[in-house]
Amino acid sequence: MTLLQAQNLHKRFGSLEALDGVSLSLRRHEILAIVGESGSGKSTLLNVLAGRASADEGDVYYDRGTGLAPLSVLGELELRRLQRARWGFIQQDPRQALRLSITAGGNIGERLMASGARHYGDIRRTAAHWLEAVEIDPARLDDLPRNFSGGMLQRLQIAATLVTGPELVFMDEPTGGLDVSVQARILDLIRGLVRRLGLAAVLVTHDIGVARLLADRLVVMRRGRIVESGLTDQVLDDPHHEYTQLLVSSVLPT
Amino acid sequence: MEGYNFAYLDEQTKRMIRRAILKAVAIPGHQIPFASREMPLPSGWGTGGIQVTAAILGPDDVLKVIDQGADDTTNAVSIRGFFARTAGAATTTRTQEASIIQTRHRIPETKLQAGQIIVYQVPMPEPLYRLEPSRATAARMHAIADYGAMHVKLYEEITRFGRVALSYDYPVMANERYLMSPSPIPAFDNPKLDMSPALQLFGAGREKRIYALPPFTRVRSLDFEDHPFHPGRANAVCALCGAEDSYLDEIVADDQGAKMFVCSDTDYCDTRRGETR
Repeated sequence: MTLLQAQNLHKRFGSLEALDGVSLSLRRHEILAIVGESGSGKSTLLNVLAGRASADEGDVYYDRGTGLAPLSVLGELELRRLQRARWGFIQQDPRQALRLSITAGGNIGERLMASGARHYGDIRRTAAHWLEAVEIDPARLDDLPRNFSGGMLQRLQIAATLVTGPELVFMDEPTGGLDVSVQARILDLIRGLVRRLGLAAVLVTHDIGVARLLADRLVVMRRGRIVESGLTDQVLDDPHHEYTQLLVSSVLPT
Repeated sequence: MEGYNFAYLDEQTKRMIRRAILKAVAIPGHQIPFASREMPLPSGWGTGGIQVTAAILGPDDVLKVIDQGADDTTNAVSIRGFFARTAGAATTTRTQEASIIQTRHRIPETKLQAGQIIVYQVPMPEPLYRLEPSRATAARMHAIADYGAMHVKLYEEITRFGRVALSYDYPVMANERYLMSPSPIPAFDNPKLDMSPALQLFGAGREKRIYALPPFTRVRSLDFEDHPFHPGRANAVCALCGAEDSYLDEIVADDQGAKMFVCSDTDYCDTRRGETR
């Protein structure tokens, strides 16, 4: 069952074709990775899919339970509701997504309160539960995120995003800014949560290893076009396009 | 008064302000921009309130002006004198007798009546001011009623202090639609905003905004189900009139630091003392 579909997306920045006829689809409970070098248009594609930027041509379709419908017919209010409650967006830099001057509990509670939660005790209990789920000591519920380490901040962002039980999560290089040992643990955490909650996810990464670990399917982007797509193992073990072959061969042997 | 138009402002300006007021009344709690004029007092001293009053004042109106509840403070006396000179307006200190009450930071204790108009002086009309630095973004948040950020602020207050520690300018929902700053009135006065029979107008001169609550508008102070809104009041009685239900000011009475609590609303206090005397 298709949850999200993009049809013939075009987006231009000046003379640069950031997206040049991109089409893709995502099924429920599926994790799709978008890989490619920097400047290939993968972040632009993610922003267009998540309704954070608009395409010059083409449209994004989403199934809200009543069949696929284009996002462009939604008003700003409906789009915001969708983004607030049923979608999540995990950024590379958690400092951009979190409010560093309010407590961890307040950060997790923000999405709940924006969706109408009005019971202080319930919000706190839910926040504490989610801190535990991302392996942060619940005793730190009332601490300010500015005193958290980089890895903890990323965990907090994950908790603050997943608290409303979204069905679709967009991730932009979720482990990009972290050191290698923390990366592995965050990836492990994301993999566990995504499988347990049955989320669908679109994951942007330039790291083939991250894609292999998390993704069911993979699209490879270059210069605003999808040059190859398929099951992750299939694409990475038997790359057809020369650019994909280059990407796969440029990974250092472990 | 020679050389001035009735109530100081020229008629075109008054019409412009009245148009803004009409729009504001039509959409309770929504901030309407207006072309605020220079007034012969500094911004922050009531330039918004004084322009709204000038625009609605007629020859038959009776004006009362209070500052923190008191009729006898410099600001209140000056604004009252200003309209007495420029409009020949009748003035009073009695809440019941006034048809227009301009106020800074209080609502009179005496219940307002149908037909009365209360004009608030507002320093900062945007309730999201400290939460969202961009006014354009704040306007979008109002447009789609995205007020989660304000509840996060209340959440933080309860987390840090055990209760919502805002004692004035406590945010309210006007007609269950717009988040509104009630101006810096004490939280104690918030319940008086709700279903008031009087027309309530809010003028912010420096920020160039007017908003309003038509009579009998539902006004709800934000809170949580398990931490309901609590209007704060000093736990004392008025040392002058013995009132137990009025908002109190704490006053230093002598050089030894002795303190007393008295009604902030001077008219209410005087009236009670006149009755019991």
